Amino acid sequence: MRTTKDAGDHKRLTTETQRTQSFSPFRRFLCALRASVVVHLLQRCKISQTSSPSPRLLQFLLPRLALALFVLYSLRPPPILVVVGPPQEVVTTNPLVGVHTRLTDEVEEWKIQRTLQMVREMGAPWIVEFFPWAYYEPEPGRYDWDHVDMVVRHARAQGLTVIARIGWVPQWARPEETTFTYLDPDGYEAFADFVATFAARYRGQVDHIIVWNEPNLSFEWGYRPVDPAAYVDLLRAVYPAAHAANPDVVVLAGALAPTLEPPGSPAGLNDLDYLRGMYEAGAAPYFDGLAVHAYGLGFPPEADPAPDVINFRRTELLRAVMEEFGDGNKPIYVTEAGWNDHPRWTRAVRPAQRIAYTIGAYEWARQNWPWCRVVAMWAFRYPAPLHNYQDYYTFVTDDFRPKPIYLAVQEYTGQSQRASESANQ
Amino acid sequence: MRNLSFISRRSLIAVLVLLLATCRPSPDALDRVLETGVLRVGMDASYPPFEYIDGEGNLVGFDVDLAREIATRLGVEPRFVANLPYDGLYDSLTAEQVDVVISALYVDPTRTADFTYSTPYFDAGQVLVMAEGTEGIDGMADLDGRTVAVEFGSAGDVEARAWARRLASLTILPCQTADEALAKVAAGEADAALVDHLSALMTSMEGLRIVEPMVTSEPYAIAVRREDRRLLEAIDEILAAMRDDGTLDRLQARWFTAAP
Repeated sequence: MRTTKDAGDHKRLTTETQRTQSFSPFRRFLCALRASVVVHLLQRCKISQTSSPSPRLLQFLLPRLALALFVLYSLRPPPILVVVGPPQEVVTTNPLVGVHTRLTDEVEEWKIQRTLQMVREMGAPWIVEFFPWAYYEPEPGRYDWDHVDMVVRHARAQGLTVIARIGWVPQWARPEETTFTYLDPDGYEAFADFVATFAARYRGQVDHIIVWNEPNLSFEWGYRPVDPAAYVDLLRAVYPAAHAANPDVVVLAGALAPTLEPPGSPAGLNDLDYLRGMYEAGAAPYFDGLAVHAYGLGFPPEADPAPDVINFRRTELLRAVMEEFGDGNKPIYVTEAGWNDHPRWTRAVRPAQRIAYTIGAYEWARQNWPWCRVVAMWAFRYPAPLHNYQDYYTFVTDDFRPKPIYLAVQEYTGQSQRASESANQ
Repeated sequence: MRNLSFISRRSLIAVLVLLLATCRPSPDALDRVLETGVLRVGMDASYPPFEYIDGEGNLVGFDVDLAREIATRLGVEPRFVANLPYDGLYDSLTAEQVDVVISALYVDPTRTADFTYSTPYFDAGQVLVMAEGTEGIDGMADLDGRTVAVEFGSAGDVEARAWARRLASLTILPCQTADEALAKVAAGEADAALVDHLSALMTSMEGLRIVEPMVTSEPYAIAVRREDRRLLEAIDEILAAMRDDGTLDRLQARWFTAAP
């Protein structure tokens, strides 16, 4: 009988095989060969310098150099073959299950594919991914979509719905000595143009876009005092441009950081006051849904919300603000959430609690939040260990080992049973 | 020709001498520390027992005492910048807000372009714990046919699952906490427990012992800016002396012991 564990082992073995190809003895031999050729050529050059280069020497050297290069080129190991494969479908008991992936800095295609495969195999139909403007429009009007194409292609092949978070300002669109999160009102049209270009290119493939990230934190607003009205001006520029490019696009606003910062704090402004500030500045016509960050910290998912408490159900307080301003017909998308299980961080919980709370949060949203479309937990996997508490948010290690929380969610969504059944057939 | 080469050799030597004469050692944070008499220490005080605020509002912990001892041996006073978020610790070094970061900091190879680390002063990796008197277990490879207790979902659990795929028969006993995993060993319900080093030290280990070497390694060290080599050398010398004279052991005994 082939079990889920066996299937996982097989995939892991394939993965490890692919990785070891990069460091095979053959490759090391090629490296050594190349090095010896270079040393040889340098020696010849040294000779030629001392005794002045002669046409005869060049005649001797150049054909051999060309031959050596040709031989080395033809002997190079083949690149890892990545086949997109037939379209897959996510089967899950809870269609709200999602994760925030971190493929922005993932270079190798097979790792992007493997990550998204594992998301599907966990029973999560949604991913949230960050697409930095600065990466993809390095000069005004010059776009480099290769990486986005790759991520979107593989996500689509796995049957995943992609929510794109767009932010990070290229150097050309902001003053010197400012950070990636700084954008003057003069730059809003340029940002809107980029979002529109993105929306048009990926129409039908990526139909959800988050405008900016956590604008209620100073460091996410270019280290300036936060300003809900200015953020609404940004939405006012982006919304019509995105909809003109893709009439089906869902523009998500907010993605506010859950924080208790009081008005006037240099660090930021609490999310409830900030959202009110957005509505007072006329935000309502310029977004289709609210993106919410719903971290649980040390509280279980069902813990009651309160304005002076940060927990998972703080989302309901944001919802109340939406209703207060007559905007309750719009959905909420939880685009970041989760618990951390670092052994010593005071804001962390025990690993077993993290598992129970995570599944509890998915289930709470399914049963109690009819206005919620997705709960995307931070973060599925990092390309490399971060060597700090952030590593304790992940579901899968950087080398694709599923953590127990991954297996528990897989069981919750019915994926582990499905895998066992298909193995038995 | 010989004269020319002699002259150029002499010219070269003259240029080198001139260069050496004009070269001055690059500024080092150690100079500033000794000049001002203050060692500025960055930390995120939310990681007990390394650094945290106690019930009376005092900054306490292993790293706090370690920083005080290093400052004393340098002949200066420590000044703590303890309200930094973990994500901002390295930025505080870059911005020269602090001279050192002592904050249960992992040695991160990806940071070494800008920062250097002292010799590690603690290893927080996973350890195997077994009952005193148990024979035949020197490491994970010896657990074939045996039972290992782990804290469910922890890094030890992930490691044990990896070993379960390598060994013919390893039974994993999941527990709710590291304490419970260790209690299973003490009660004879598991042959060993795989828990993080600190959890092992902070749990009553009566009748239990830690198997050497550690199963995984997560060294904690002090970080300084890459250019502050002399400060790093001074810190490394002090750490070596603290190791030799038993100060580090005393600090560990003070902070990493089981609650009574």
